[in-house]
Amino acid sequence: MSFASDRSWLTTTRLTVFALLMGSTAIAHAQEAPYFVTYDHHLEEPGNLEIATWSTVGIPRDGQKLFFAPFSELEYGVTARWTAELYLEGQATSGDSAVFTGWRLENRFKPLKREHWINPILYLEYENINEATKILKEVVGNSGISGERNAELARAHAHELETKLILSSNIHDWNISENFIAEKNLSRAEGFEFGYALGISRPLSKLASGAECRFCRENFNVGAELYGGLGTTNGFGFHETAHYLAPVIAWQVSDNSSIHFSPSFGLTNVSYPLLLRFGYAYEIRGFGSKIARMFGGKP
Amino acid sequence: MRLAFLTVLFAAGQLFAQNINYQQDPKWRAPEEATMKPNPLADKPELTAGGKKLFRRNCVECHGESGQGLKKAADLQLPVVQEQSDGTLYWKITNGNPDHGMPSFSGIPELQRWQIVLYLRTLNRRDAVK
Repeated sequence: MSFASDRSWLTTTRLTVFALLMGSTAIAHAQEAPYFVTYDHHLEEPGNLEIATWSTVGIPRDGQKLFFAPFSELEYGVTARWTAELYLEGQATSGDSAVFTGWRLENRFKPLKREHWINPILYLEYENINEATKILKEVVGNSGISGERNAELARAHAHELETKLILSSNIHDWNISENFIAEKNLSRAEGFEFGYALGISRPLSKLASGAECRFCRENFNVGAELYGGLGTTNGFGFHETAHYLAPVIAWQVSDNSSIHFSPSFGLTNVSYPLLLRFGYAYEIRGFGSKIARMFGGKP
Repeated sequence: MRLAFLTVLFAAGQLFAQNINYQQDPKWRAPEEATMKPNPLADKPELTAGGKKLFRRNCVECHGESGQGLKKAADLQLPVVQEQSDGTLYWKITNGNPDHGMPSFSGIPELQRWQIVLYLRTLNRRDAVK
């Protein structure tokens, strides 16, 4: 690629990002929790589509390699009690190759109609991935940091089923969420893997100002999450498991887009020492109705 | 006979689309203790502007810019809505009515939900006439 085409690509990219950030319309959604791994009980509003891109950068220990694992997310509110998501993921390792690592289809269901002190959500996900996956959307089982090359890892396919029990409470302006994870690799005769994620967060401001503003406190939501593995059915517990503690922040950039950032600090010797996570989410309101109208249907 | 049936069906469809005769879900009732809750911001009308911003962000997609109600959503200007207590409206925003398409907005901070209630009061048609 020539210098001129490099520059033109850079300009196009900048313009696209700028358009996404600044060109948003005056329609938005309830403030999003800042978590990367933990789920709370707030589902996507019915008919809305959220398009998001997330990335995990793994900062290595001595002798390991830095990796970059981006993934895209399409989240749709099917009903007020059912949200479905599709993920596409990849991974690139320094001194190695970049590979597509698979897709995931996720569903979250709200069994109770009303808000309660503790709100349960049932989570079911099918994963068609390979062993090169490093997005670390959740941490389960026992961990070991593989030194194998991407080409070899990408050849090992896995069909996995993951379930979560999500419990979440809103106490005044605080959200406290607990996730209990069980994952089964359907491609191999092995037991279940377990994990957990805990999160706490709150917005920086209790009141909304009348003015339109980007940098005011009401647009920021901060918190922390703790997540890790809990072994397998062959050995439940903390032995050889990875755990991370992560401050999290979400910034509502505009009425329908948000930026998220979190450094995750590894707490055990089988954890990555540091994971940098960042993401951008953009919500299209009334997507379902717009599509229905396009095909002459009733919104 | 078939024509009459189709006419009735068409008329019913029009009424439904325009949401003229919004009927409340009789099962969507706030508990009594919730209905009695006063709006803690009732004496701070200057916070209504923030409520308007939140309404525009979270509610207009279904309820319309002036709260007239689109699709199946309630016409918030109607007396059947405006006669409800602040506590009831707050409870309905918080809990939603998921089986009828109204999601829960419990993710919005408490006081901001009360700000939305403040703004909903300004949609009262009788006030608008004054």
